[in-house]
Amino acid sequence: MEIRLKGISHSYRDGGLKVLSDINLSIREGEIVCLIGPSGCGKSTLLRIIGGLELPSAGAVLQVGDPPPTSLNPLTYIFQDFALLPWRTVEGNISLALEDHPIGRKMRTEIIDGVLARTNLTEFRKAYPRQLSGGMKQRVAIARALSVNPAVMLMDEPLSALDSQIREILMADLVELWCRENFTAFYVTHNLAEAVRLGHRVAVLSRRPGKIREIIEIATPLNQRSADSPELGRHQQHLWELLRDEARAADLELANV
Amino acid sequence: MPFISRRQFKILAASAAIALAGLTGFAEQAAAADKIKVGALRFTSHSASFVAFERGYFKEQGLDVEFVFFQAAQPMAVAIASNDVDFGVTAISGGLINLAEKGAVKVIGGALHEEKGIDGQKILVSKAAFDAGVTHPSKLKGRSYGITQPGSSFHYMGHKIAQKEGFAGADIKFKPLHKVGAIIGALKSGQIDAWSIVPHIAKALVKSPAIHAIGDVADYIPDYQVTTVFTSAKNAAGNRDLVKRFLAAFSKGAADFNAALVDKSAGAKADEDMVRLVHKYVYTNRPFEKAAPSIRNGSMRINQGAKLNLKSVQDQLDWFKSEKLVSQAVTIDMLVDKSYVQIY
Amino acid sequence: MSDATIALTAPAEKPVRFRGGGFRTRPLGIISPIVFIVVIGFWELGSQSGLIGKLILPAPSEALQALLELIETGNLWKHLGASLQRLIVGWTAGTILGIGVGLAIALFSYVRAGAQPLVSAIFPIPKIALLPLFIIWFGIGEGSKIATILFGTFFPTVIATYGGVDNVDRTLIRMAQSFGVSWWSIVRKIIIPGAMPAILSGFRISIAIAIVLLVAAEMIGAEFGVGAYILLAGSLVATDQLIAGVAILSVFGLTVAWLIGKAESYLLRWRT
Repeated sequence: MEIRLKGISHSYRDGGLKVLSDINLSIREGEIVCLIGPSGCGKSTLLRIIGGLELPSAGAVLQVGDPPPTSLNPLTYIFQDFALLPWRTVEGNISLALEDHPIGRKMRTEIIDGVLARTNLTEFRKAYPRQLSGGMKQRVAIARALSVNPAVMLMDEPLSALDSQIREILMADLVELWCRENFTAFYVTHNLAEAVRLGHRVAVLSRRPGKIREIIEIATPLNQRSADSPELGRHQQHLWELLRDEARAADLELANV
Repeated sequence: MPFISRRQFKILAASAAIALAGLTGFAEQAAAADKIKVGALRFTSHSASFVAFERGYFKEQGLDVEFVFFQAAQPMAVAIASNDVDFGVTAISGGLINLAEKGAVKVIGGALHEEKGIDGQKILVSKAAFDAGVTHPSKLKGRSYGITQPGSSFHYMGHKIAQKEGFAGADIKFKPLHKVGAIIGALKSGQIDAWSIVPHIAKALVKSPAIHAIGDVADYIPDYQVTTVFTSAKNAAGNRDLVKRFLAAFSKGAADFNAALVDKSAGAKADEDMVRLVHKYVYTNRPFEKAAPSIRNGSMRINQGAKLNLKSVQDQLDWFKSEKLVSQAVTIDMLVDKSYVQIY
Repeated sequence: MSDATIALTAPAEKPVRFRGGGFRTRPLGIISPIVFIVVIGFWELGSQSGLIGKLILPAPSEALQALLELIETGNLWKHLGASLQRLIVGWTAGTILGIGVGLAIALFSYVRAGAQPLVSAIFPIPKIALLPLFIIWFGIGEGSKIATILFGTFFPTVIATYGGVDNVDRTLIRMAQSFGVSWWSIVRKIIIPGAMPAILSGFRISIAIAIVLLVAAEMIGAEFGVGAYILLAGSLVATDQLIAGVAILSVFGLTVAWLIGKAESYLLRWRT
């Protein structure tokens, strides 16, 4: 299944502040598209629009082709703040995503076992979120997302709340996961290193109202990328040049609000 | 006092007192007046004190009286025990007896009194009960009966009625409702079957079709000493002169009241004056025309000379003991100081 | 100070002064019984020595005597039974209704707009003032007593519930919606557990109110009940029985606080 954005524009409160302007983009199957931009450019809004949690003022999000029949929740989010229920254990949190689907108790347990194994969480299944570190919590959120077998994962700065070592480890985990499962994802971040490590393509959004300034393609396969590769360094430098002025202007803009 | 300041008022009052003293020749007594506090309820039955105050009988006795008004008899007894109030008039209650046992208060005289031939407390029933055949106090067996609280005068009256009609007090279902208003509400809506209450309230209630009167308490408790005069044990023992002066003034007020409204021997003018005097204290929020009938209806005899029916008091004390509301060790001498008034 | 002296004297070493600490309570389980014992001990001593007049306050030993008398006559169980029944029925009904209405106010804009001002208007009315009406509406049997307690516990529960729901983390709800979780499942699995801490602290308040109202409720034609016992003691100025009755209510309060503590540590075990 592929997602196509056609002429998405959005403003808060009819005719008010315009945050997104004429976004055209497609997310192809088995591809990770990263979206970067200065803060306040409407990245998260765009993500909510793609997942159907918010309606755009103009334009449409199109779903091309059908999701695989095994997919319980084709468009599935992963949130920056993990959004785990503190009163449920690890398996309980994953179970929440499955309970409203008519799949039976046995099937549900099998799915939970499966995703816990895939994210190396099996021994933590009875733990409560408060007992877990930030990195573990995000692993649980990823496991929960995987459990519904999504056609597209919508990731909203999933690593931003974590410290840099954990971020590095989780990035490696995500790469490994993609290599195994070839999932499709739209990955919003403000971290350039993440974008060049995880993105097959990286879209750069301008400051508000957000427009797509450029889309770069990174040809190196994900599992051959490393933090010190010169090619990634070049891409990152290029992205930084694109972003720098936008970021500075956005910063001043916000300060003057 | 919107027009004169407190200080100006004091000066005025002082000069008025001097002028009055010069005129009446009470100079010495007025100057040496004892300040006392008298507890009262805004009931017609407390009129003896009001009359004594309004007609200067307290002043004659060298007493400078200040009234302290209460909503119920119970806190008044406690206020006397704590020496916040010097004299009071109330029904004999379990609380009063327990305070007497603790050596805090003493009954020193009698006040309101049931007497055959004079309108006294009435026995009332709800319409539902009346229609169901409770047309006479003898039919109260097994019926519910409103009381303020266990050990109140209502409770005592209910028991005495049962006794005279030949069944046990326990055969009446007493319902403690704590407030006269709540009892009236319960009786009107038929939640309880019966109640007994002072005549001015009873007469107002039987005007409504929801309530019927079926008898008089006086027929069941002859010579019922309904209320008594009491003071702190300290006053009774150590301040005899003050107590005597209070009782003298109180008796004089009672005599005026009885003559004007109970015996009606003083003529129409005295009747009118007395009702006007009482109206200064009772039913003050009603116009005189409306208050007057209630005041006249509520007039029951206040004992001449504050004499005390010890037999009735003894009977009440015995009843409290039999109901285990007071200690068995309480004697009549703990409760009553017999040395002040005529005992009969 | 000249440069020469600085060069001669080595800089003095001293530890940095500790400025942290405080503002954190430690559990000290033995303190509270000691305070209880000391207060009651001084009270007893004062009464025995005559420093505290018999009329002013009865000695704790006299109150204990009154309590023992209650146990001997077997009346204690009648009083406790009657009161507990009223408390449990009234409080449970008030709580269930309160949570229901609180949830409705929190979840439906129309209900909120309509009922919230009504709750604010009725909550502060002293229920004791309504006793005569309760008698007419519910009779002088158990109905009016239970209604008094029910009304008293209903409103604080409503307010605690919708306050708790309002404070549930919105990101959790958005997460559930993004997984296609149904409305009813969101209410059951996210909103109610999320509001549970607030509802449980509401319980602490509503139970205290229920105990306070017990005395008022038992003003209505109650023969047995701790409140009726206290009222009778008051009207007889039997201060020893009064203190004994009040002590029973205190024990009610302590027991309930302990039970809610237990319920919190079970229901909110996910909290730390």
